[in-house]
Amino acid sequence: MSTLHAKKAREFLKEPAKITHHDQTFWGMRMARDKMVSQIPEWEELREKASAIKRHTISHLSDYLEEFSSNLKKNGVHVLWAKDAEEFNQMVLKILTDHQVKKIVKSKSMLTEECGMNDFLMSKGIDVVETDLGERILQLMHLKPAHIVVPAIHITRQQVAHTFEADGISPEKGNDDPTYLTRCARNSLRSEFLEAGAGMTGCNFGVAKTGDVVVCTNEGNADMATSMPKLHIAAMGLEKVIPDYESLAFFQRLLCRSATGQPTTTYTSHFRKPRPGGEMYVILVDNGRSDFIANPDHWETLKCIRCGACMNTCPVYRRSMGYSYSFFIPGPIGIDLGMLKDPKANSGNISACSLCLSCDDVCPVHVNPGSQIYLWRQQLEHFGTANSEKKLMSWGMSWVYRNYSIYNMALKVAPLLNYVPKSIIGNSKMNPWCVGHLMPEFVRKPFHVLEKDLEKEYEKKSKIEP
Amino acid sequence: MKVGLFIPCYVDALYPQVGVATSKLLHYLGVDVTYPPKQTCCGQPMANAGFERMSRPLVEKFEKVFKDFDYVVIPSVSCSAFIRFNYPKILSNCTVSEKVYDVVEFLHDILRVTALPGKFPHVVSVHNSCHGVRELGLSSPTELSGPRFNKIVDLLNLVSGITVKEPERSDECCGFGGMFAVEEPDVSKRMGEDKLADHIATGAEYITGPDCSCLMHLQGIAQKEHKNIKFKHVVEILAAGL
Amino acid sequence: MRKEELFARLRANTHQQFDMPDMDIHALKYPDTLQQFIKMTQSSGGKIVRLKKDGDLNAAIAEAYPDAQVIASNIPGIKADRNPDLVAEAQDLNRTDVGVIRGEVGVAENACIWIPQTMKEKAICFISENLVILLDEASIVDNMHEAYARIKMTDYGFGTFISGPSKTADIEQALVMGAQAARSVTALSTFTS
Repeated sequence: MSTLHAKKAREFLKEPAKITHHDQTFWGMRMARDKMVSQIPEWEELREKASAIKRHTISHLSDYLEEFSSNLKKNGVHVLWAKDAEEFNQMVLKILTDHQVKKIVKSKSMLTEECGMNDFLMSKGIDVVETDLGERILQLMHLKPAHIVVPAIHITRQQVAHTFEADGISPEKGNDDPTYLTRCARNSLRSEFLEAGAGMTGCNFGVAKTGDVVVCTNEGNADMATSMPKLHIAAMGLEKVIPDYESLAFFQRLLCRSATGQPTTTYTSHFRKPRPGGEMYVILVDNGRSDFIANPDHWETLKCIRCGACMNTCPVYRRSMGYSYSFFIPGPIGIDLGMLKDPKANSGNISACSLCLSCDDVCPVHVNPGSQIYLWRQQLEHFGTANSEKKLMSWGMSWVYRNYSIYNMALKVAPLLNYVPKSIIGNSKMNPWCVGHLMPEFVRKPFHVLEKDLEKEYEKKSKIEP
Repeated sequence: MKVGLFIPCYVDALYPQVGVATSKLLHYLGVDVTYPPKQTCCGQPMANAGFERMSRPLVEKFEKVFKDFDYVVIPSVSCSAFIRFNYPKILSNCTVSEKVYDVVEFLHDILRVTALPGKFPHVVSVHNSCHGVRELGLSSPTELSGPRFNKIVDLLNLVSGITVKEPERSDECCGFGGMFAVEEPDVSKRMGEDKLADHIATGAEYITGPDCSCLMHLQGIAQKEHKNIKFKHVVEILAAGL
Repeated sequence: MRKEELFARLRANTHQQFDMPDMDIHALKYPDTLQQFIKMTQSSGGKIVRLKKDGDLNAAIAEAYPDAQVIASNIPGIKADRNPDLVAEAQDLNRTDVGVIRGEVGVAENACIWIPQTMKEKAICFISENLVILLDEASIVDNMHEAYARIKMTDYGFGTFISGPSKTADIEQALVMGAQAARSVTALSTFTS
């Protein structure tokens, strides 16, 4: 009864040291986050209010998008609305070709990943240069991100050195010191920033009241990408809009503490107007979001601010790695977003959860990603992706429990299992419990039999000591 | 106060001594306890697997059997949490969900036990099961901001001679997760191995917790790896000597 | 897609609406705001130099960056080799050793300094190898709620909070200062005695 996630995880778990490193890295980030939390006595209040602000905004989304776009326009920013990934990609292509742009530098944007923008533009002859160091490394290695904030965390320094040497970025063969490699990337990307015809950013928060596009980075690459090229394109999911600066303060304080355990990103940049002599475009992307809003159990997934705290704390993510998931975003929120986007394709991720609910507790905006996974599980039958063996087992258990005489008989017979040779019962293909465990022992006298003796004992005692 | 005792299916079949300890301890504390016959399951395994509708007949039965008690006490945090939070969604006009208490909660919050008769001169490592931490509030979740507390530790410290420890990652999931253990056996095993190592590193002789499903998972791994550590449900330690 | 279509679909698909919460929050305040700002600046990898308001800014900058050959600034009184108001292209600011810019609000909780764009080419804030940010100590507030209540944009329509140097830990979680932008940041905080 192996799901896609389980199968992929099995392969990764064949390298236990790698998994240990991965687990410890993300547990470290969770601990860094906890340390931040301990320094902010009002932390739970911040979470409550941030969640409430998001619920309000999303449930009034058209009003806020109207206000946001109207202010953007007043500020001289071009506003476009993309229905889906394809429309988004075509819009970007048109803007770039209209401006004769051959090379675009971009900062990290999960939205552009969602739309497959890079591959699309490259197929049309436009050079797309990722400038976030992790994304750049992955781009050069032709790999996908394994995490939404630290996408290249699984890549070793040796692999980076090797890649940089092959691409002419690192002149010193065999030097895999991270500081040296970062300097090499800095030099190489500096030329890209200077030469590019356009810069693309994502958008962490769009402030409706002022029209600000807010972008948070540690590297300053979003700012570098938009300070030299005269054309700035910002890709923004509809759900990123928030009412005003007063609201923004809550999210700014929660975002980086939740993500990496830093009190802030190095740069929190507000783009309100195009650069002098430049142009700015904001493309607002739907790609299913206007439908997700209608889902009564799962619309709050739209509150997500993409901090990654849920995957950092998730004991399953930490031990199975990002590539075990079928959706481009892994971990608890990835499971939820994947199910919203394409339930049939992504049902194989639903098993990747022990329902520990740690993610519910760390989510800065109370998306409750773990609780949502429980609800998605109830719907697998409806999507036609429920596992038939699991269904049979559940039905079997339900049948036994509903019929006491069968239950009682089963318990009388169960101790026989204790005598089944280990070679049979311990066969992990037949009995997946035995992948990691020895079988527990079924007792000859279950509690409901022992209880009768207990009652007698109590009665005797109460006769002696009235 | 009339208390109904619910002994979950796997406790009945695999760990009846936990049921015995619960019954004896409540009896010792002067509680009027009844064990209604023909109990089976609260319905959690099917629901967590995604088939909540298959739990419904069990939910209805539970409501029928226990509705006239003032409290229902269960030596299992996962069952208690399931009944408290999921039953109202499955059965409208459910009355039992508000009466159900895990035995640790019941002893700590309702009976407010301040003394226990037994001795347990051993080092124990507390396994803070997820349902207990994050749904029933037996201890403060390490993710949240706020004062630190642990009802399991409080009660264990009433037992003479005991040394109570907690693993470094004190409330990380053990990896049982019900059907998770068989649907994602490799991840489940790895989670259990890591948790077991964390407990063993405390130097404890016993791992103890409020849910036998977590203990069963860890014990199964310990036995396969020939690790010499013993397991007891918290209530067995609290009932020591009875 | 036309926005009217989108808005109609959003409205039709919204089944429940929620009010804004009460925005009052007892946010963290520090017994010594300045000390907290200094502490957080240092832990963000930044440096801080305190100077009396009538002190010699150029001397302080030279002391912080004695090897600097090329200084950029449009602040009157700062000895600069380049002026971000006067360069032909932003690219011309490349290979600036020290960019000197003005911050308007400091934030103690996270060492952020709000820098509204007050020069034609904001590249100076990012392309300079090292950054010196002038800040009046009287403008340091405790937290972001207070900061956001104060910040104002200029006509240029860009502003940024900067906290310490550009950094990354993308290669094996090893923290490296000076990823794409400033390798070091020195807050030159001025006070009246």
